[in-house]
Amino acid sequence: MKIKAEPRKKKKVDPRREQAQKDRMKKKIKKMEKAAQEMIPIEDFVTPFKFLDASRVREISPLSFEENERRALLLKKWALYKQKEHEAEMETLKSLMAAQQEALEELRLESEELYQAAIRRDKDLFPFEKEGPSYTPQVPGYEAPEGKCIDITKVYTQEFKNA
Amino acid sequence: MLLLCQKGSCLAFNLKYICSVFLFKGSTLLSCNRHYRSQPTHGIGRFRHLLPPELSKRKRDRVRMKEIQAGSDHEYGDLNIQMTAYDMCLVEHFAQYVHKLCNRLSIRVNESYAMPTKTMEVMLVQEQGSRLYLDAVLTTHQRVVQISGLSSTFAPVLLEVIQSNQPEGVHLSVKEHTEADFKVRLKARPELEELMAQMS
Repeated sequence: MKIKAEPRKKKKVDPRREQAQKDRMKKKIKKMEKAAQEMIPIEDFVTPFKFLDASRVREISPLSFEENERRALLLKKWALYKQKEHEAEMETLKSLMAAQQEALEELRLESEELYQAAIRRDKDLFPFEKEGPSYTPQVPGYEAPEGKCIDITKVYTQEFKNA
Repeated sequence: MLLLCQKGSCLAFNLKYICSVFLFKGSTLLSCNRHYRSQPTHGIGRFRHLLPPELSKRKRDRVRMKEIQAGSDHEYGDLNIQMTAYDMCLVEHFAQYVHKLCNRLSIRVNESYAMPTKTMEVMLVQEQGSRLYLDAVLTTHQRVVQISGLSSTFAPVLLEVIQSNQPEGVHLSVKEHTEADFKVRLKARPELEELMAQMS
């Protein structure tokens, strides 16, 4: 007599178990995707622990009357200087815009096609990169010391809270 | 009896009793003195239907990416002005300046946020031997001002102004906003990725 019970058992359990496992995983994935994604906290806006101690306060030394006067007058002069600077900037902006408008009008009178092509947006403008000005010019023949930079930024991960 | 109650004319006695008996099947709060649905002034104070539909403020919907505008032929879509530097005060002040400038020139500013700070250890080779020693720890800060609706004729002018006011050490870059830029700000989910890898 042949015993056929064992092979049959394997057939029943395996595909069902696999199916159940897959369903469970799909459910879990759906649940995880539903949870709101958190943003990485920015370390700049978190004051370090050592500065939270309120007992350490530096005493301000008293200033003389002349010193106060000098400072107040300096502030006024600085405010005036900045105002002049701002006005000059606005003037340059206005003149730039006016010159541009004039040029475009002249171009329109010349040829409509060129004007339409000029008005379109420039694809090569972006991405635009520029380094800030440096304090000193480049030193010729400078050899940088050998070494490397290691990135030690803290990697934040979002854990799945099974609540 | 019912007619008398509907017209609202007051009989001296038993009026309330009559009303409560005949209007009982409707609602217990109905009273004869209240005109509703039949008067021309019905719904006189309604305003909720005139307001724009309010988005649900549930916690689940808080962090959702805003749609990226593509822009037309004469206007640019969402642009990111990214400022990177080692000095946090400089970069913050410059970001504030750019934001105020855009406000003054009536350019729409969508968002103004900070990207996560990157910390780097600079290891240099010692003079005598070949061992690396720790020289400094540098932090790179990045601020982003997102604008949209910039006209094609005004874009070069704006770039000129921003460039002329660029402080030293601040690296400026203007790019178009993409989904990848938004995803960088979100936390990584390794468990989800593991499960996804197992699935496929």
